[in-house]
Amino acid sequence: MTAYQELQQNPYRPWPARITSIIDLTEQERLFELRIIDDGVREAFEFTSGQFVELSIFGVGEAPISISSAPSKQGFIELCVRNAGDVTGALHRKQCGDVVGIRGPFGRGFPFEEMKGNDVLLVAGGLGIAPLKSLINHIHDDRHDFGKVTILYGAKNPSEILFRYQFDMWKHRDDFDLILTVDDPDESWGDEVGRVTRLFDMIDIEPENTYGAICGPPVMYKYVIEEMRNKAMDVDKIYVSFERRMKCGIGKCGHCGVGHQYACIDGPVFNFWEAMNLQEAI
Amino acid sequence: MFFRIMDKSRVLDLVAGLSQDFEVLGPVSKGDAFVYQRIDDPADLRLDYDTTLLPPKKLFFPPEEQMMRFRVADNEVVDDEVYAAPRVIFGLHPCDINGLLLMDNVFLRDYVDPYYKARRDSTLIVGVSCTPQESCFCNAWNTDEVHWGFDIFLTDLGDRYFVSVRSVKGAELLDDHVETRPITDADTAEFQRVAREFEAGFSDELNTSQLPLLLDAKFESPIWDELGERCLSCGACSMVCPTCYCFDVIDRLEPDQKTGVRIRKWDSCQFTEFASVAHGQNFRESRASRVKYRYYHKQWGYLSKFERVLCVGCGRCARACLAGISPREVVTALEAGGVGE
Repeated sequence: MTAYQELQQNPYRPWPARITSIIDLTEQERLFELRIIDDGVREAFEFTSGQFVELSIFGVGEAPISISSAPSKQGFIELCVRNAGDVTGALHRKQCGDVVGIRGPFGRGFPFEEMKGNDVLLVAGGLGIAPLKSLINHIHDDRHDFGKVTILYGAKNPSEILFRYQFDMWKHRDDFDLILTVDDPDESWGDEVGRVTRLFDMIDIEPENTYGAICGPPVMYKYVIEEMRNKAMDVDKIYVSFERRMKCGIGKCGHCGVGHQYACIDGPVFNFWEAMNLQEAI
Repeated sequence: MFFRIMDKSRVLDLVAGLSQDFEVLGPVSKGDAFVYQRIDDPADLRLDYDTTLLPPKKLFFPPEEQMMRFRVADNEVVDDEVYAAPRVIFGLHPCDINGLLLMDNVFLRDYVDPYYKARRDSTLIVGVSCTPQESCFCNAWNTDEVHWGFDIFLTDLGDRYFVSVRSVKGAELLDDHVETRPITDADTAEFQRVAREFEAGFSDELNTSQLPLLLDAKFESPIWDELGERCLSCGACSMVCPTCYCFDVIDRLEPDQKTGVRIRKWDSCQFTEFASVAHGQNFRESRASRVKYRYYHKQWGYLSKFERVLCVGCGRCARACLAGISPREVVTALEAGGVGE
C-alpha cells in the first residue's frame, strides 16, 4: 500500500512534515514553512486558499491552522502561528529540521475560480491576515485574471503587523491598493490610524463586480460587513472565514458547530448570505 | 425480506450456538436496571428488558478508545490498527437500531471513521420488539419501527418470535444454530395485531409540527433562559444518548515520555469549554446557549444534512437529567410558547 492509500484509510492519521524554515514575524507569531516528508502524500496534498490543516504534535495534541501560503507554491506550505495554546506553544519551541504532523487540507476555502475576472476587496484584522495571505498571494500569482485588488489590513499597533516585510514593498506597487492601519501608532508609523472600517472612506469600488473577503477577530465581522453593504456589495459576494474549534477537521467531533453547520466541513469560509442564515455566526 | 417462526425457548439454543463462533453480547440485569454486557451464560440474556442505562453506541464508539500509538522523537504513528473481534449483539430495540443508523451517517460517510467502521463491520445485530414505556416518544420520529440496520429481528408473539431476516449472515445464523419454520397467515395476522397493540401503547403523540423552523423563529425565546437556569451542564444527556457522537481527543504519554497513545473519549456540547478556541473566546459561554445548541443541532443541524432528526425518542436523557429536563418538555414548550404552558 502506498502512503497515500494509507492516508485514505485513516483520516485521523497525521503525516510527518519537516520544518524547513521559521521566520519571526512578531513577538507572538512565527511563520513556519513545512514540507511533507512522504513524496506520495506531498504530491497528493492540494488545497485552496482558506482551507486549514490539523497540526499534530504527538504528546501534546492537535490544533487547526489555516494555510498562509498560496496553492501556487508547490511542495511546501506555510503556517502563520500565534503562540496561544499547548500545541502552538509546542510548535514555537521547535526548530528548523524538526518533524511535526499534518492532516488535511480540510474545509471549504475561498471561491478562487469564481472570483476571477472581478475586483477583490480583502479586509483583515490582526491574525486574520493568516488565511487571507494565501488568497492574496494566489491572486498575485494569477494577477492578470483579476481586476482591481484592494487590501485593508488593521492591527492593534505597528509591532503586530504581520508580513510587514512584504507589505512595505507592496505599498509601492500600483497593481495592489494596500492600506495599513493601527489603533495605537508609534513615532515611526507613517500609515493610517484607527479601525479598519475607517478605511472604507478612502476606497472606491464597483460593487457589481467586486468580491469581498474578510477575516479577523469575531467582533470585526459585523462592522466590516456593514461597510461593504453600505458600498452596495452583494451579500453572496462577501466571504468571511470563521475561527472555531475544529478538533477533528472532518465533521465528526462536533466542536466547531456554528448554527446548523460545522466550520470544518461546511466552512470555515462562508458567504455572507450563508452566514446570515447561520445562528451564532456573527 | 423473508420471515421465519422460532419458538421462544429456542433463543437459548441460538445464543449457545453462536457463542462458539462469536462473542455474544446483550442486555442483562444489573441492580434494578439493565446493561449491555458479554453473555457467558445464555440464561443471563434478558430480552424482556425495558431499556438499558447506556445505549449500544458504547459497543461501537466506546466511552474511551485508543486511536493510535505514537513515537515522540520523530512524531511518527507506530500503530493505528483497529482490532475488532466478530460478535453478535442481541436485543436491540428499534430505537437503538435507528440510533446506530443515525450514527452511521456521521461515521461512515465522507471521511470514513476506521474505528467505528471496524466494529460495525464485525458485528451482527439481532433486534427484538419492545413495549412502550412512559418515557418513550420514538413514535414522534417514526423510530418505533425499523426496516434495516439488523441481521435478524425478533417480534415477540407470546410463545414464539416472528423473525424478520434482513441479511445473508442473518439467514446463516438461523440455519446454522436454531430450528425455525415458515410463517403462516395466522402468524402474519398475529404479527399485525401485536403491531397495532404496540402503537396503541404510547401515552401520547408529541406534536413536532415545523420544529426545525420553530428553532430558528424562537432562537431568542426566553424558553432557553429558563432551561439554562435549570441545566447543571453535567453532560449526562449526551452520555446516555444513542445518537450523541461528539468526542474529545487527548494524547497520553508513557512514563518514559518517548511514546504514548492518542485516545478519544465522549464529550458533550453541554460542557463549559466545548466551543472555546485557543485565544480564549468561548462561543457558547452561557448554559442557555449550550442547552439550546443541543436541541438546535439535533432537530435542525443534523437534519439539514441527513434529513432525519438526531433523536430516536428512547427517553434516556430525560431519565438521566438531574434537573428534570426532557425533550418532550422542550419540544412541547417550543410548540406552545413557553415552559410549562
